[in-house]
Amino acid sequence: MDKQLDALFGRVEAALTTLIDSIAKYNPSEKLADDLAHADRALAQGLRELEQHQANHARIQQLRAETAALDAQTKDVAGSLWATRKEVDNTPTTTYPADSPRYPFTIADLLGFARRISRNTLPPPGVTNGLDLSAPPTQQSEVTMDGTATPGASFTSGVGTPGGGATAAPTPDAMVSQATVASSVPEMPMELRHAVNPGEGAVFIPWPTEDKIRSGALAEYQRLVERGMDPKGYDPEEEEQRKRDEEQAKKEAEERARLEHEEAERRMQEERARMARERERARQEAERRGSVAEPVGQKKSQFSFIDMDDEDDDE
Amino acid sequence: MSEPMSVGSSALEPPMPSSASSTEPKHGGFTRFELELEFVQSLANPQYLNHLASRKLLTNPSFVAYLDYLQYWSRPPYLKYLTYPGPTLKSLQLLQEERFRQDIISPDLVQALMTEGMKAAVEWHKEG
Repeated sequence: MDKQLDALFGRVEAALTTLIDSIAKYNPSEKLADDLAHADRALAQGLRELEQHQANHARIQQLRAETAALDAQTKDVAGSLWATRKEVDNTPTTTYPADSPRYPFTIADLLGFARRISRNTLPPPGVTNGLDLSAPPTQQSEVTMDGTATPGASFTSGVGTPGGGATAAPTPDAMVSQATVASSVPEMPMELRHAVNPGEGAVFIPWPTEDKIRSGALAEYQRLVERGMDPKGYDPEEEEQRKRDEEQAKKEAEERARLEHEEAERRMQEERARMARERERARQEAERRGSVAEPVGQKKSQFSFIDMDDEDDDE
Repeated sequence: MSEPMSVGSSALEPPMPSSASSTEPKHGGFTRFELELEFVQSLANPQYLNHLASRKLLTNPSFVAYLDYLQYWSRPPYLKYLTYPGPTLKSLQLLQEERFRQDIISPDLVQALMTEGMKAAVEWHKEG
């Protein structure tokens, strides 16, 4: 391209020189001027080509850069793919020893378990155990634990000592938190706070509280021991059942006795009625006999007026 | 309060969860399964541990053997009956350590366990 342009320049220059020479010699020639004009046009054409060339060149450069970038990207991807692959290969997987026991379970088991433990593992919404205040969340819990401590138990006695120190510590923080609450939520009266947030001041305890332990089966067991009974083999429910059964039996016996009594009474009454009837019958019998002894016709006419004729006929 | 030593000893097999069968003798109206489940979960309460330590139970060899026996709760089919699984299993694990059984008599440790436990109960949920 450079040579081509050089040639074009040379031609323009030569034409110009010859034209100037001819003019200097006072012998201008139209042909020389035409040559110059041609050379100039050729140069202009050459320059346009140069422009085109430059544009093409720039485009090629751009494309090359693009290719290089894409190449790099491809290499990158391939590289990271390789690295990832290596990483995956090298990831230590949990290898269960072949002899360790495996416990199959079903989704239903899992969900059931999740449902059962959620009450004791997931704090209710809004209950943070005072964690956001970055203070020991023991203030309320101390009160709860100490408040429920019943006399005669050494359960909380050991904790009581540090409790005093622990309750004193979080107080400034708690006051700060209340101040911030007051500034963000203007003037919430104490008695309304609970209505707005039922979890206010509530504490989530992730283990059985003393209350629960005290009201459980072991405590019941202990009470039996204290009452001097051997809990082994003793079942209050069964006892209850036995008592109920006994009562039932007693009631049934009473009922039976009552029924028997009634039966006897009834029988006696029947007997009495029967005797009365028999007496009546005997009396009637006696009467009839007596009447039979009397004149028959008279008696008969008393009872059956119609039959009388037939009987009379028969006789 | 409770005297778990009279409930069973390490020589016993773990009770069957489905011990609704009437053949098993009951203890104060409860099955051994119920009593041991309640006891092992009570161990999750640091104050209860302190109470046991103050009764000198944690240094009693037969009680230690009983704690070892109670480890069956960390395996199926018993595991799923724990309703306080995290603290219960942690306590059970810690109680196998001689050092912990001695140290839990300290009120400071009880306090630290309670603070940590209540913090953790809220925090693990926050992360999730």
